[in-house]
Amino acid sequence: MTPTMQFWLLIVVLALGTWSMRSWPIILHGRVPRPAWLERLLKHVPVAALTALVVPGALYLHQGSGAYSFAPARTVAAVVALAVAWRTRNVLATLAAGMGVLWAAQWALTIIG
Amino acid sequence: MPRTRHSFIAGARGVLPILVGVIPFGLVAGAAVRHAGFGLAEAVGMSVVVFAGASQIAATTIFESGAPLWVALGTALVINARMFIYSTSIASYFADAPAWARPILGYMLVDQNYVSTMTEGRHRDDVDIIWYYVGGGASLWAVWQVSSIAGALLGPFIPASWGLDFAVPLVFLAMLVPAMKDRTAVGVAFATGIAAAVMVPLLPIQSGLIVAILFGMVFGAWLERPKAGESQ
Repeated sequence: MTPTMQFWLLIVVLALGTWSMRSWPIILHGRVPRPAWLERLLKHVPVAALTALVVPGALYLHQGSGAYSFAPARTVAAVVALAVAWRTRNVLATLAAGMGVLWAAQWALTIIG
Repeated sequence: MPRTRHSFIAGARGVLPILVGVIPFGLVAGAAVRHAGFGLAEAVGMSVVVFAGASQIAATTIFESGAPLWVALGTALVINARMFIYSTSIASYFADAPAWARPILGYMLVDQNYVSTMTEGRHRDDVDIIWYYVGGGASLWAVWQVSSIAGALLGPFIPASWGLDFAVPLVFLAMLVPAMKDRTAVGVAFATGIAAAVMVPLLPIQSGLIVAILFGMVFGAWLERPKAGESQ
């Protein structure tokens, strides 16, 4: 198999698997019982999922299958962005502050390092 | 304005600030496909049929690293396992959706649309929740495709030192802060954050992500456990 064929195979199987996971609970809703304990767990999904998506990106640099390395410039930028998000509740301001501090911190680390 | 259209537009407006973060995300995803040695067709094919950014980038970069196909696939699917939880969580709001529409609603289930619908849309009395969700999903879909194409075209000219991928956690952070409405939510965020910081670099095939989410859910349910002597 050529690399292009392998990559298309990856795309198709990943798409089918992803679609199944995100669709079957919606499709089967009403036919499968929902116990009360499940509701108590699901209540916390938005906060838990967002946190799990934020924290690794704020602490580490990671590419593909490589190792995770601590990224201090990102951590500093994320802390400033958190403060801005807290004060402003504004996505754009948070994004601008985070990227701005990241670039400044990277530049500062180059000067020192 | 008919309620359907009003709800659709409200949903699209609900994700508007988030779209700014989707653009660099799409650029990075499109550029990754080019970087791995493939063309526009593969970049568009992936962004349309998979439509799940973090897993697309992981699958592409792992494939590029020369790892076996099943490692790239397995990792990407583990990253997307959280969507099964999203789907289970949001399903009760789609109880009125006809059977034919449900596979489409599932296809539109991405982080940003899930969070917008669950933290904003469902608390509004003036919108139909399904159309609110479809409005958000359609906007995210369109911006995702356009920015992925732009990434595939411009990718070779975007230096890695810009750290555009950092925009992704920043936007999730901006969505997280208003979602931390009470002490339980803050507790869940702390517990999940510590679990993610430890587990994500430690566990194989990025399974730390789903482990941290499940840990946060259990921790939240434990914080709100019925006290002894209290009836449910």
